[in-house]
Amino acid sequence: MSEAVMELKNLKKTIKGKPIIKGLDFTIHSGEVFGFLGPNGAGKTTTIRMMVGLMQMTEGDVVIKGHSVNSSYKEAIRHVGAIVENPEMYPFMSGRKNLVHYSRMIPGVTKERIDEVVRLVGLENRARDKVSKYSLGMRQRLGIAQALLHNPSVLILDEPTNGLDPSGIREIRSYIRRLAADEGVAVIVSSHILSEMELMCDRIGIIKNGELISIQSVQDALKETDKKEVLLEAEPVNEAEMIVKEAVDGKVTVHGGEIVFTAKRDELPSIVNQLVAGSVNVYSVTVTRSTLEDKFLDLIGEGAIE
Amino acid sequence: MSNFIQLIKNEQMKLYAQVSTWVMLILIAVFVIGMGVFFKVDGMMSDDSEQAGENWEQQLEAENEQLQTEMEEEPGFTSMNEETLEMNQYRLDNDIPPDGYDVWDFVQENRGNISIISLLTIIVAASIIANEYKWGTIKLLLIRPISRTKILAAKYTSVLIYALTMLLFLYLLSFLTGAALFGFASPAEPYLFMKDGVVNEAPIFQHTAAQYLLSSVNLLMMATFAFMISTVFRNSALAIGVAIFLMMSGNTIVSFFADKEWAKYILFANTDLNQFFTGTPMISDLTLGFSVSILIAYLFVFLGLAWVFFTKRDVTNA
Ligand SMILES: Nc1ncnc2c1ncn2[C@@H]1O[C@H](COP(=O)(O)OP(=O)(O)OP(=O)(O)O)[C@@H](O)[C@H]1O
Ligand SMILES: [Mg+2]
Repeated sequence: MSEAVMELKNLKKTIKGKPIIKGLDFTIHSGEVFGFLGPNGAGKTTTIRMMVGLMQMTEGDVVIKGHSVNSSYKEAIRHVGAIVENPEMYPFMSGRKNLVHYSRMIPGVTKERIDEVVRLVGLENRARDKVSKYSLGMRQRLGIAQALLHNPSVLILDEPTNGLDPSGIREIRSYIRRLAADEGVAVIVSSHILSEMELMCDRIGIIKNGELISIQSVQDALKETDKKEVLLEAEPVNEAEMIVKEAVDGKVTVHGGEIVFTAKRDELPSIVNQLVAGSVNVYSVTVTRSTLEDKFLDLIGEGAIE
Repeated sequence: MSNFIQLIKNEQMKLYAQVSTWVMLILIAVFVIGMGVFFKVDGMMSDDSEQAGENWEQQLEAENEQLQTEMEEEPGFTSMNEETLEMNQYRLDNDIPPDGYDVWDFVQENRGNISIISLLTIIVAASIIANEYKWGTIKLLLIRPISRTKILAAKYTSVLIYALTMLLFLYLLSFLTGAALFGFASPAEPYLFMKDGVVNEAPIFQHTAAQYLLSSVNLLMMATFAFMISTVFRNSALAIGVAIFLMMSGNTIVSFFADKEWAKYILFANTDLNQFFTGTPMISDLTLGFSVSILIAYLFVFLGLAWVFFTKRDVTNA
């Protein structure tokens, strides 16, 4: 088992008498990508603000590499790189100058390291431009570059894929995975998009109304819930429906000419084969969403923000 | 310590990366050069024959005689005339001819522009922290292995460096403009002033430099005040407004309460340190030592408040 790099101990935050975070306890290990998942207003950003010392904890502590954020902040924060909410940079300076600015605040960051992170996030052609001319995605990349300057052991990213295009998301995802795997960095990623988390994270903690309601490794979750919802477009519908009903256990319904059912991924080829053997014309088979997402929605409830 | 210097480098970099800082510098340059040109043109149209001639001794003697008779006839203006009289006598005794309008007079005249520098420094002091909140960069600034106290200190020091830079710029530019337009004169040229009823003499360079610094006391206090307000309320507009209002109305406030016993504890009764060197204090029982102590006490209160709010507060979006 890899070492624990960050530990939350009964972390609580009360703002003006209102409990926002109600006691979080969990550990994050090196080389792990931890997803911090929750609906709007769940308390993700508040938790992250406490992790990096921007907010005082009402109760509890965060321990990073053995140093308490409360009592030895400088030693603790030395190992952390973070983006909190939007990656805001000085708009009137170039991307590179912004990095120089932050590099001066941490001992041991060289010019070469700055060039290296610029290349890492793919900004080498735009690093001399002013940040005011950057797109949101470019700013997000610069934010990640800033967080990586000092080779942190813990990387905290609050909604890092916000504003990135699909190829950008994929790049960041593979980069985060590589950081964790090759350099043993513990990465904490917050998001409210589950599908994104499934691809990126090793473990997902679900937070709602300031409480951790579930914490599970993605593999386990997927094993448990590897049934997918499937949309089938085929003709004639009646015959197709009968064949599907025989093949799967769950409920089979017909919606506007499409047959909807849940099945394991492995079952799909044989179902399609049976359909073809029964001389049904198959136009499309679409797997809509994993039931992990259903589980997530069940857990957090689809209701309004408290 | 070395990272304190890095922090200051950062603040200066951010300051001079902003267009507004350069606009401020240009503003001062326009004022100084504009004033020089105006005086030059104005002076050429009126008589510029005030230059001391060969016979300056006779001229001064004649002036003194005239003053003497005036004083006998009209005792009302005695004190002012007496000063001129004594200065003239000092010149005659020590063989110091009066000089015409030269570079040093222009440099002295430009002391008035320190009020513009005060305004600009107030703006910088009020923005240096409030802007970090406005831009949202405060979050990335504070999550470094550096204490908030140190960051605050670096910001305040940067404001002081900015003010000093501006003062130096004003002094040098008015010197250069003055030398170009009105002729150069030695920095050792004697400057005469009255103190405790006796004529004193100091090198003009020393005198002007001291005057610039003494005139900056108000600047320092108001900039620190603006720095504190903007740190507490995270709002630069509010800080600029209140600081400028107080700066403008400071003297009125003091004279309004002048007869109260506690008037001498008002900040503005103590900001004019010049009064101890070349004049009479607005409130009679003030001494230099007392004023300096009061100023330091105010500085401590302002900086202390800024520190408490900056280091203790949660950083949120609100
Ligand atoms: N300064 C504050 N004062 C009062 N309440 C606050 C403050 N900051 C946050 N909250 C409350 O704390 C709760 C959690 O907010 P937080 O920003 O942590 O949510 P989040 O999980 O990051 O949501 P999102 O997905 O929208 O970013 C919200 O209910 C919010 O109203
Ligand atoms: Mg958030």
